Amino acid sequence: MAGINVKSAKILVFSTEKISDPAIDMAGLLKLHYPPTVYTISIPCSSGVKSRWILHAFEKGFDGVFIAADGSDCPYGESCTEKTGKIIGMTHELMRAKDIEPARLRMAAICSVCSESFVKQMKSFNEYLLKNSNN
Amino acid sequence: MPEKIINASYDALVIGGGIAGGEAALNLANNGFKVLIVEKDLSIGGKMILLSKVFPTLDCSACITTPKVSEISRHPGITIFTGSEVKSIKRKSETIFEAEVIKTPRYVIGEDCTGCQLCEQACPVLVHDQFQYNLVGRKAAYIPFSIASPRVAAIDIENCTLCGACEKVCPTKCIDFTQKSEEYHLDIKTVIIATGFKLFDPLMIPRYGYGIYKNIITSMQMERQLAPTRPYNTILRPGDGKVPDRIAYVLCTGSRDVTVGNPICSQICCMYSIKQAQLLMGALPMADVTIYYINIRSFGKGFEEFYDQAKGMGVNFVKGKIGKIREKEDGNLILRYEDINENIVKEAEHDMVVLSVGVLPNTDSAAFFPDGELKLDPFSFVYQSDPLSSPSKTSIEGVFVAGTATGPMDIPDSILSAGASSAEAISYLNRKL
Amino acid sequence: MNKKIGIYICHCGGNISDYVDVEKVKQSVENEDGVFLVKTTMFACGDANQKEMVDDIKKNELDGVVVASCSPKLHLITFRAAIELSDMGCPVTLIEREHFIGGRVAQWNLLFTTSETGKEVVTKLYNELIERDNITLLTGSEVIASAGSIGDFKLKIKKTPRYIKEECHKGKLQEAINVCPVVVADSFNFDITERKAIYHNFPSEYPQEPVIDIKNCTRCGECEKICPSVDFSMKEETIEINVGSVLMATGFDSYTPSEGEFGYNHFENVVTLPQFKRIIELNDKKLIFKGKEIKNIAYIYCVGSRQIKGENKYCSRYCCTSAIFAAIHTKSKFENINNYHFTRGIRTYGKQEVLYAESLKKGDIYLQSYEDDPPVVNQVNNKILVRINDILTAKKEMSVEADLIVLVTGMVPRADNSVASLFKLPKGRDRFFNEIHMKLRPVETVIDGITICGACQGPKNIMESVNSALSAAAKSFSYVSKGELELEPIIAKIEKDICTWCRACAEACPFDAIKMVKDEKKDVAAINNSVCKGCGMCLPVCPSDAINLIAYSNREIESMIDALAG
Repeated sequence: MAGINVKSAKILVFSTEKISDPAIDMAGLLKLHYPPTVYTISIPCSSGVKSRWILHAFEKGFDGVFIAADGSDCPYGESCTEKTGKIIGMTHELMRAKDIEPARLRMAAICSVCSESFVKQMKSFNEYLLKNSNN
Repeated sequence: MPEKIINASYDALVIGGGIAGGEAALNLANNGFKVLIVEKDLSIGGKMILLSKVFPTLDCSACITTPKVSEISRHPGITIFTGSEVKSIKRKSETIFEAEVIKTPRYVIGEDCTGCQLCEQACPVLVHDQFQYNLVGRKAAYIPFSIASPRVAAIDIENCTLCGACEKVCPTKCIDFTQKSEEYHLDIKTVIIATGFKLFDPLMIPRYGYGIYKNIITSMQMERQLAPTRPYNTILRPGDGKVPDRIAYVLCTGSRDVTVGNPICSQICCMYSIKQAQLLMGALPMADVTIYYINIRSFGKGFEEFYDQAKGMGVNFVKGKIGKIREKEDGNLILRYEDINENIVKEAEHDMVVLSVGVLPNTDSAAFFPDGELKLDPFSFVYQSDPLSSPSKTSIEGVFVAGTATGPMDIPDSILSAGASSAEAISYLNRKL
Repeated sequence: MNKKIGIYICHCGGNISDYVDVEKVKQSVENEDGVFLVKTTMFACGDANQKEMVDDIKKNELDGVVVASCSPKLHLITFRAAIELSDMGCPVTLIEREHFIGGRVAQWNLLFTTSETGKEVVTKLYNELIERDNITLLTGSEVIASAGSIGDFKLKIKKTPRYIKEECHKGKLQEAINVCPVVVADSFNFDITERKAIYHNFPSEYPQEPVIDIKNCTRCGECEKICPSVDFSMKEETIEINVGSVLMATGFDSYTPSEGEFGYNHFENVVTLPQFKRIIELNDKKLIFKGKEIKNIAYIYCVGSRQIKGENKYCSRYCCTSAIFAAIHTKSKFENINNYHFTRGIRTYGKQEVLYAESLKKGDIYLQSYEDDPPVVNQVNNKILVRINDILTAKKEMSVEADLIVLVTGMVPRADNSVASLFKLPKGRDRFFNEIHMKLRPVETVIDGITICGACQGPKNIMESVNSALSAAAKSFSYVSKGELELEPIIAKIEKDICTWCRACAEACPFDAIKMVKDEKKDVAAINNSVCKGCGMCLPVCPSDAINLIAYSNREIESMIDALAG
């Protein structure tokens, strides 16, 4: 694993265009503070994340990957929650096979006004990653 | 005195920018018509955007309203006037109405405001925040609420001291105290009345002690405490800021009650109270929530299951209408009621009471039209001239009605009513054009 | 090949520049590869800057633009195109399984709020329907096959003949009915009365021609001898139509109580609410049922709804109001009527509450029990008694000797709803059709192009059904109004060479947009472009990674990750 920036861990967030993006965006508008090394990639739905993208992120030096799930708000239907969960499960297996600590991949439902919840998640994820960096 | 009169024309005038008005406007605009929404408040979204979660799905209300509100404000076929009111609507010819609309000034140039809130921070005046139903205060220069649309500041000129602090700090210099009201004379082809409803004011029931005993709030105030854009970080009782652990709901406050002039059932209070009770059980796991009811009206799709869910979560349901409430020295409240199960009059102590207030008609719209032309029904809602075949027709041809302007209804019913009114308005426009 | 990229760094009026030294940012990127110009600006979202950006792009032929500003959500839209729907004139085909139209409303008589009868409401609507040339009415018809998707549904319809030619000699019809030897229960009147095999339901019914119930007809030929319009040579037709969108309004069935449920079919005087309403209409001055004059009526509520042990956990919404309205009407039409309501809490919601108050004023008695202690119907000597432990009087046991017991039955989904499985319409836990989202999209279904309305979506009263129908009509129309479908370009793409047709993607797709096709010798997956919503649920499940989403391909996402990783 690449060296961790002492102040904050590098976190990649997969966020969904219609649901979690507005929340993350509003966190900025409301001037809520969260670690500056959190980067976001927008996709249509959290159940469309490929495991290989997550592994690629770890390979390239991200300390943690966070999936902002649509949960029951998903505009594409109810099957989203189950499918997103399955992807996490699958990816955890692949991570274990590559000796990557599964806890470095997290998922939580972020609704479109859940700015404070998102910030809380980022702060606690960041704290965890800093504490558990194994070099 | 308005400085100038502006003339314009639109295919449809939608009075009210709540969920029903918004939905009707979208349907009309999506079919190619030019729509004007006139909204009295500073933001569209009505009451729905201020709610916490909706029943029975427990979707976050703001989360489902904000995309709709964005769609409406972005739509090229829809023009929105906020802070504006209809003064009059008269028939000019067989196909045209003439509407007079007054736009009150915000004293802020909307296009230049970036929503930075620096004016809010600088303003020295503190008044009650009407969007938080008086739970907290706001400044005289303010953004209505964080998810308001448009997200543009306004000056509450009545409370403003004209100190100019806001003007000094505004980075785009968009505060303009010289703004005047604008009067619009509009040619309109069809009107949809979507003026929503008013909430019952429990001051009309003195024996409940609202307004005197501090720890009694209305359901709308509790809704704000539970919403994501909430005033406090937790649920508090206003008297002393304590987190309550024995909360009581008084259903049918102002409904099914001839003594306060409202004999009908408000249709939504049973369900919203059950919803709030479930949210409270989640937010305050140690708390007890008791709902005092006459009948639980859980009649819609998924409602009965929602009621069972609440019972399963441990919400107490007591059949007995609350007769009287009195206060103890510590701010706790004693509720007096007839317990139907035990057939005796009992008293119960709670540390916070929520009055489930009912839906009252908004009678403003009758005044827009020449005397008596817009008929109201016996309960003062807008009269539906053909409720079984054309529920959105009013007593005036070409004027339709949508949502709670016709009577109490929940969100899905309001949206369907709006869909129906826009379908009828579109047919009407196509026949006349 | 050098890319020309323009970078605009926004001060955001201090929101950004108070925290970030924008000039330094500018300097640090100025000399990067591919950067053609870097500008700082006070408000990137403002009109002035927008125009400047457009000019810069045009003049310098920039390949890409990076805007470092505040909310991407607020301002990205400014740079994308908006899509709009437009206009009018849509032909409609109305497919009705029965031979007559009007549905359940035609079977009701007096209706609450307007005192119109059901038949009047239906006739009024259908007079308007006939006026319009672009409505085609097919009765006795059912959809038997469906192919295609939104914009292009190909439906096969089976039309059963009436066996009566279009122009009917009205005078002869009544004679023909008289000579028909077949007598069956009349389902239009809820089996209370009877009809012949050649029949029509009520005079102003539409279509005006009667019908021969071929299943019960004995082909004796008597009617043929009298009426020249009878034509047994008419055959079943199969009609194929091509439509852009489909509106489902298949309605509901009334709950039929099971044998012995509150005495149904055991005791003579137990009827359902629809039967009771018909009985009221068929009587005048005195209420007589099966030879007996009715004085005491017991109404038992929530039969077939809010069941503890049965499938129907839901409330049927319309029944409290309907039953109380019938009770009031009965009391005003006949003498000496006593109404006893055995309820589980009255739900006359909204303005309907005044009926409850009116019924109480007229002297009706209301009793209530909880769901675990329902009323019991018993025969004692020659009397039928309904017994309840009434919670409104502290569980006092009360019995009423009932001349007539009315079971207030709820609405259930139609038993025969084969047409729904044709379209693969999803159903909720209550077995009624499911809309996509109750609040935001109450009339649409997950199947693109198909809307639902009325009681097939859930129990509702007439006004609510009409509201939902008008909404669904507007929605259905919006699917076809432009003559072409406009779609987002973000759809999935399958690499045929890698695909092994394992079905995983087809199963994952919630919109049924993936099917198998033959590609030379191989079976591969293919995406239906007009249905694919670009959600991406098929992406992660493919074992060979053969699916990519346009604009979110592996290359695009992974290069974004590379750039962010630094």
